[in-house]
Amino acid sequence: MKKLSSLMLVLILALVVSACGGNNANNASNANEGTNASTNTGSDSDAKEVKITILNSKSEIHTQMTNAAETFSKAHPNIKVEVISTNQDQSPVEKASALYASGTPATLAMLDAGDIEKFADKALDLSGEKWVAELAQPNEINGKTLAFPFAVEGYGLIYNKEVLDEVAGGAFDPATINTTSALEELLQKIEAAGKTPLYIGSMDWSLGNHFLAIAYAAQPDTDVKGFLEQLKGGSADLVNNATYQGLLDTFDVLKKYNGGKNDPMAVNYEQSTAAVATGSAAITFNGNWLITELLKSNPEGEYGFIPVPVSNDPTTKANSAVAIGATKQMFIDNEKSTEEQQAAAKQFLNWLVYEDAGQQFLVNEANVIPAFKNITLELNGSLAVAINEYNLAGNSIEFAGNFVPGDHWKVLGASMQKYLADVTDRNGLAAEIEDYWKSVQ
Amino acid sequence: MISEKNTVKRIGNQLLFTGPTLLAFIAVIIVPFIYGIYMTFFKWDGISSSMPYVGFNNYEAVFNDTKFWTSVWLTIKYVAASVFLINTVAFLLAYLVTMGIRGQNFFRTAFFSPNLIGGLVLGFIWQFMFNNFFTSIGEKFGWELFSKTWLGNETMAFWALVLVTVWQYAGYMMVIFIAGLMSVPKDILEAATIDGTSGWKQLIHMVLPLMVPSFIVTIFLSLQRGFMVYDVNYALTGGGPFGSTVMASMHVYDKAFQRFDYGVGQAEAFVLFFIVATVTIVQVYLTKRMEVEA
Repeated sequence: MKKLSSLMLVLILALVVSACGGNNANNASNANEGTNASTNTGSDSDAKEVKITILNSKSEIHTQMTNAAETFSKAHPNIKVEVISTNQDQSPVEKASALYASGTPATLAMLDAGDIEKFADKALDLSGEKWVAELAQPNEINGKTLAFPFAVEGYGLIYNKEVLDEVAGGAFDPATINTTSALEELLQKIEAAGKTPLYIGSMDWSLGNHFLAIAYAAQPDTDVKGFLEQLKGGSADLVNNATYQGLLDTFDVLKKYNGGKNDPMAVNYEQSTAAVATGSAAITFNGNWLITELLKSNPEGEYGFIPVPVSNDPTTKANSAVAIGATKQMFIDNEKSTEEQQAAAKQFLNWLVYEDAGQQFLVNEANVIPAFKNITLELNGSLAVAINEYNLAGNSIEFAGNFVPGDHWKVLGASMQKYLADVTDRNGLAAEIEDYWKSVQ
Repeated sequence: MISEKNTVKRIGNQLLFTGPTLLAFIAVIIVPFIYGIYMTFFKWDGISSSMPYVGFNNYEAVFNDTKFWTSVWLTIKYVAASVFLINTVAFLLAYLVTMGIRGQNFFRTAFFSPNLIGGLVLGFIWQFMFNNFFTSIGEKFGWELFSKTWLGNETMAFWALVLVTVWQYAGYMMVIFIAGLMSVPKDILEAATIDGTSGWKQLIHMVLPLMVPSFIVTIFLSLQRGFMVYDVNYALTGGGPFGSTVMASMHVYDKAFQRFDYGVGQAEAFVLFFIVATVTIVQVYLTKRMEVEA
């Protein structure tokens, strides 16, 4: 009898535990309904509180984002904003899908640009928003603006202004480098002046998703998506593609003057950056995010961008344009969020674009390059200023790395490394690229 | 206890003691395993609300994925090299620290300690060793072997992985071998010594056969860990140079979580599971037959 009662006890305990588990879920959804109920009645003027959550995937600006949310809430007392940030090494998609799986998605979720498409069926259409007109570049997926571009980034050949001014004997103008041969002449001059012309960082993400991606973005008769469709369908012939060959001609020139050409794979991010920052090398291939690393080695340095030429014809657009795109994008959840929450989230986005406090947050606290023409605050750092100039002047090609599958940087980055280290030739590289794209469904 | 005649009571008692463990086992092993197999029949990117049924297409994709089979073959080579080296080194170390040399307890701890460091940290430490420490030694003494970083060369990067794995697991297996060596009955060794058998012959004909149970465990562990390696692979080479050291687990991870192709990734994981299960079962079966009694 005693045994039976102890068994019963265990069973009851088990029941209680599982019931608790169930309760938790109920509580969560109750809480949600609670806010929903309150927001539903909140349309009148003595507004009830609306609570929105922001998933922030730039973990380095968590504090600034939280402060911005507070400032926003002060200006809009009926909206409460909660900021969730991903961990440094956590993929934003993983976090966002976990939130969806638990039934509590963030009202506003910030993701890497390439991942927005996966959430397209869950995102609110923002095409009707006022800020769409202020975009420096359109930001559409299948003809709809589904996401708010939070940060613009760009890449190209980063140069140390001091070094190139010295070599040019006056102010160096990056616009003069608009062909592969002009670039080669410049590199020759730098070498003659006794400096290392450049370092090519051997990072796979840089070579694969940034350098190689120029070949996708600089196609004269089609846009990135169109060209990627051709690659997927197997109809793109890289060996006979002028842009691909032109880009690799430039890469060959870069390889020839690469300061690390004896052991090209040993040139890493830190090393290539430090060399340019201290002026022992003039140029490296990278993006505006490099500024933090550059300032570590030389807080006084001034830098600029030279476009990566893909031909010897100065009129080719890509020869005077750097690759620029909105790499972090925010979308509003359309699945679980109430209309009031969505309206509040839209209000937050408008606050970022049009209100002084929002603009200040974007430019001076989050240190990002905004995607909007109406924001005229002076940007932080010479690389951001340079990217912004190219962007506003329309001298940009697409940031094609935003449109490629998640393993592109690793697989084709490795192929580019092979080409960098002379393990494969152009045709071998072309074959690897074509094979990769055919394997993508 | 034995007098329990009531079936309900007996089952109840069994449930009382094994129930919680069983529940945990089902929840974290059986259910995910079956759900994993279920997922291999669907095409899913991990987010989309639609998850179309595709039948055996994912398995077909696995068999056509040459990169996957390259990584499996590389893993097999890696397992062969590391299993052999781990067990040889571990046995030698164990033999050394049971010979009664001075400070043998210190050596036991020292040899075991690499195993206390996680694979990720270990990978980063050794990355520094290969990239900076060895190259500067090579430069200083003009040694060809260390003049360039091992991690920049396809063959050497592979051996770097094997080396770090051996360093990590040799101490752990050594502990198992020490226990095995201790349990070899002293009386028969003494009798053999009186009969005039040399130490070498004792080792080959008496100690080693009596240690088969230890070898079953160590070979099983090193096989299984070798096949499943991810952390050292990730931290030390990251699959490079040129993607030449992507092991099977890393390929599966990339497929599922970088390419967001859960179906194919899951199917590849299942194929990998099947290979590992077959190899280890065969190994345990074969080595079991070699067991002897003193």
